[in-house]
Amino acid sequence: MAGSSMKSIKLRIKSVESTMQITRAMQLVATSKLRRSKERMEMSRPYVGVSRKAIYAAVRACTDPNVPFVAARPLRKRCYIVIAGERGLAGGYNANVFKAVAADAGETPYMVLPIGRKAIEKYQRMGVELVNTEYGHVETLRISKCFTLVRQLLEAYYEERFDELVMVYTSFVSMMSQEVRVEKLLPVVPDDDVQAESRNVQTVYDPSPEETLVKAMPDYLAGRLYAAGCDAFASEVAARRNAMDSATKNAGEMIDDLRLKFNRARQGAITQEITEIVAGSEN
Amino acid sequence: MAVFTLEIVTPDRLIYEGEAERLIVRGMTGDLCILAHHIDYATALDPGEASVVTASGERRAACTGGMLSVHDNHVRLMATTFEWEDEIDLNRAQRAKEAAEEQLKTMTADDKNYALVEAKLKRALARIRAKE
Repeated sequence: MAGSSMKSIKLRIKSVESTMQITRAMQLVATSKLRRSKERMEMSRPYVGVSRKAIYAAVRACTDPNVPFVAARPLRKRCYIVIAGERGLAGGYNANVFKAVAADAGETPYMVLPIGRKAIEKYQRMGVELVNTEYGHVETLRISKCFTLVRQLLEAYYEERFDELVMVYTSFVSMMSQEVRVEKLLPVVPDDDVQAESRNVQTVYDPSPEETLVKAMPDYLAGRLYAAGCDAFASEVAARRNAMDSATKNAGEMIDDLRLKFNRARQGAITQEITEIVAGSEN
Repeated sequence: MAVFTLEIVTPDRLIYEGEAERLIVRGMTGDLCILAHHIDYATALDPGEASVVTASGERRAACTGGMLSVHDNHVRLMATTFEWEDEIDLNRAQRAKEAAEEQLKTMTADDKNYALVEAKLKRALARIRAKE
C-alpha cells in the first residue's frame, strides 16, 4: 500500500515539475520581450499626446457641421477595434478586454475589427460581423499596416456601415497593473481638460479647419492605432510575465508539499518494514 | 536669432525636441516657413522636403504627410514619417519611384488606387529631393 502511494506521489512531482519548466520558460520569454516592447510603447506615446491636442483644437475650430468626423450621426451601429493577445496564459488579459467590449456595447449592434489571434477567434465564434481578420499578430503590427486598416475603416465609415468607432485595448500602467481602455475615436469629441488650456487667440487654419481635419485624420487614427497596439503588446507581455511568475511559484510550493508527503510515506514504509522484520524475528 | 520650441514626432518615435530658428515643410497649399513668434497656425502636410535650422546649422529631411500646429511659439510637427537626410535609403526611394511610375502608366485617373500610387510616388520624390 505504502509503495503504491509513494509511486503516485513521485509521478505527481514529475508532472508538476514539467509544468513548472514550461511556466518558467514562458516567464523568461516574457521577461526578455518586456524590455523591448516597453521601449516601443514609450516611443509611441509622444505622438498620441501631441496629435490628439492638435486634432481636438481643429475640431473645436470647425464651424461646418457637416464634416464627417465631427458630426454625430444617429447611432445604429458601432465598430469596435478590439486589441487582444496572440495566445492565452496571461491571466485575465484577454478576458478583460472582451468583457469591456460587451459592457460598453450593451444593446447596440456592433461590428468588430479584431487584432490579435485571440480576438479573431473569439468574435468569429460569436458570429459578429468582422471588418478584417488578417492581423493576428499584435507584436508585428507595423505602422504601414495601421494605415491600411484605417483606410478600410474610414471607407466603411463614409459608407455609413457604422456610425461610431471605439477602440478597446489594454494600457500599460506599471509592471503590476494593466488597465483596459475604451476610447471613442469617431466622431471626434474633444475632452474638456484640453479645452481649458486653449487660449482665446484665433488659430489660422490653412486652408480651413475642415480640410485640414479631413486630410490629417487618417494619419492621426493610424498613429493612435499603432500606439494602442504597442501599449497592448507591452501589457500582454507584462500580464503573461506576472501570470507565469505566480504559476511558477505555485508549482514550487506544490512540489515542496508533495516532497514532504513523499518523505512521510517513505518513512512510513520503512517503519512498517522494520516492525514486520522485528515481529518476524521474535517468533 | 529668435528661437521657438520645436517638437517633431512620428508614430514610432520622438524625432526632435528643442529650440529651432526656422522650419520649412510642405503644407497643403505649398511650401511654408515657420519662424519664431509665428501666429497660431495649423495645416495638414503633403509629402515634401523639410528643413530645420537650429543654432548648430541646417538639417534637411524628407517628411511625408501629417500635420503641423503652431501654438504660442510652440511648433508641433506630427509627421507620418520623418527621415533626416542621412537616414534616407536613396536606392530604395529610386526603386519605389520607378515602381510607382510604372504602375501609374497603366492606370486611369479615376482608378480606385490612383491616389494611393500617386502618394507613393510623391513620397519617393520627397526622399530623393531631400537627399540631393
